[in-house]
Amino acid sequence: MVCCGLTPHLELARRPDLYGTPVVVGRWDDHVIAASDEAVAMGVTPGMPLRQAEHLCPLATFLMPDPETSLRLRELIAAALYDLAPVVEVRQEGVAWLDLDGVTSVQQAIREARRRLRAAAHTEPRLGLAGGPFTSRLAAARARPGRLLRVEDPRSFLDPLPSRELAFDADQMERLDLLGLRTLGAVAAIGPRELESQLGREGRRAVLLARGLEPDRLEPWRPPMFTSSHRQFEPPVEDREALLFVARALCGDLAEELGLRGAGAKEVRVRLHLEDAEEELRDSVVRHPLGSAAELFGLVGSWIKEWQPASPITEMWVELPVLEASGRRQLRLWAGGDGTSEEVVAALERLQERFGEGAVTQVKVG
Amino acid sequence: MQAQPQLDHAIEAIRVRFGSQALTRAAELPPPPAWRSGTPLDQLTGIGGLPHGRLSLLVGNGTCGKLTLALSLLAGATHEFAHPVVIDVSYGFDPQSLLPFQPASGPLTVVRPPVVDAAGEAASALARAGAGFILLMGEVPEPWLGPLESGASRSGTVVVGVVDAPSRAFAHASSLSLAFARAGWIWEREQLIGMRTIARCSKNRVAPPVGESELEIFYPPPGCARGRARVRVRAEVAVGERAWSAVV
Repeated sequence: MVCCGLTPHLELARRPDLYGTPVVVGRWDDHVIAASDEAVAMGVTPGMPLRQAEHLCPLATFLMPDPETSLRLRELIAAALYDLAPVVEVRQEGVAWLDLDGVTSVQQAIREARRRLRAAAHTEPRLGLAGGPFTSRLAAARARPGRLLRVEDPRSFLDPLPSRELAFDADQMERLDLLGLRTLGAVAAIGPRELESQLGREGRRAVLLARGLEPDRLEPWRPPMFTSSHRQFEPPVEDREALLFVARALCGDLAEELGLRGAGAKEVRVRLHLEDAEEELRDSVVRHPLGSAAELFGLVGSWIKEWQPASPITEMWVELPVLEASGRRQLRLWAGGDGTSEEVVAALERLQERFGEGAVTQVKVG
Repeated sequence: MQAQPQLDHAIEAIRVRFGSQALTRAAELPPPPAWRSGTPLDQLTGIGGLPHGRLSLLVGNGTCGKLTLALSLLAGATHEFAHPVVIDVSYGFDPQSLLPFQPASGPLTVVRPPVVDAAGEAASALARAGAGFILLMGEVPEPWLGPLESGASRSGTVVVGVVDAPSRAFAHASSLSLAFARAGWIWEREQLIGMRTIARCSKNRVAPPVGESELEIFYPPPGCARGRARVRVRAEVAVGERAWSAVV
């Protein structure tokens, strides 16, 4: 089963203060990228020239697209949903799919997805549950905000829907219209080979979609294998204690992100941008992935404590260039402090890095 | 005795003016959780074991049994903690000397810092990381005592230091100091088999002072590295009464 969550287009979701008003996103002399429901009600549709949209809805707020912010929002939503299902896909149009096959508590995953989507988009998402991404998206589009529409029989659900849901271009839609295929039921009734001869490969796919056979697969989102956190200083900083304080906060932020991803850092790098000198950096590859704030700060803090920068610091970066899955191990039930084993091992490794392999030895007793 | 009402009145006045938490009797403070080591030292701490998250010191000049007790604690820690660590500041720790105390089989981590400053860094880093038990064979420099205290307090690490005579800073940083003084040797058939030592609680920030005990330490039989060393309480002296209790 695939669950689909619909939120406003992410270009619109970055401005929740404009919810409830007509908003059009696009570049001047270009096409409309996204339009709010209020603008759509006035006849504006994504893809039409912006001038035409302005003519149709002159009172709308026109926004320039901000791909960087919407991409960050997409990453945020994908990261938030990542631990709920084995496969998660999020698109800029405000569509999030979760493939719930293998999930033990589907209801709980859907509830949690709804909560996280609401927190990210600042509005109630519409949810659909069906056998594949196409049907679940159509179901979600017909659900009320904050509610789930579950499709038990895809054919009976899809048949009465208009064929424009197949998202063909204008020419193809015209040909479908000329063929008299105005509903998905009509498209499903025709043979895939017949429609393929009229519309090419897309025609075959359209028939399979209309029959609820779901030929498309989700493209799983994978967390990026690099992360960093930084802070600028104005005025530049010379105080070591201030640097340590900021480094601890940065390590805390990174550890929180690592925890969400279930990842650990295999390499840690600190870069200091200096006011009147070249950038300075420290870098280290660690044997066991570091995951907690204490582990990260144990390494970063030890560098900063003995760092002698050439001039005041204007910016500090803590980067984790190599991430890997941080495995969870079974704790020994009766051994005190076993939960912090990784941190102790990491601390011992840092001591070996600083003072040589011989500084820490494991002796066999008993 | 006449001063008691005046003292109570002063305490009450401070509480009324600055709040009930401004002044609290030591006896009313919740003690830190105790680790029951199974050694006679548990009876001297006042809380039934060594305090978690605090620095405890075993001090005494020359051969007085402090190292034997420390090894006994370490052997117990190998059974109970995932990561007991020895920080061998003085390079005097011999892992073989632990065998008579029947430690748990498995690796024991020994840190031998190349410089004294590294001992402080190692101790504070390991305490912060959450090592269950740290045995300090020697002192750590004064600048590292603060991080060590705060790290141990946060993680609940049991930190035990063994020194002849602690510096003022090291003594000040400790919450519990047990002083040892040799009282005599134990002979059997003209062979030295052990010693008697007086263990006294010279500083206690976790509970009211309990008193002192006379301990008998029996060495393992010669030529038998895996023989069993034993420590037992011979007598106890209550501080208030200064009277010997029955021999245990």
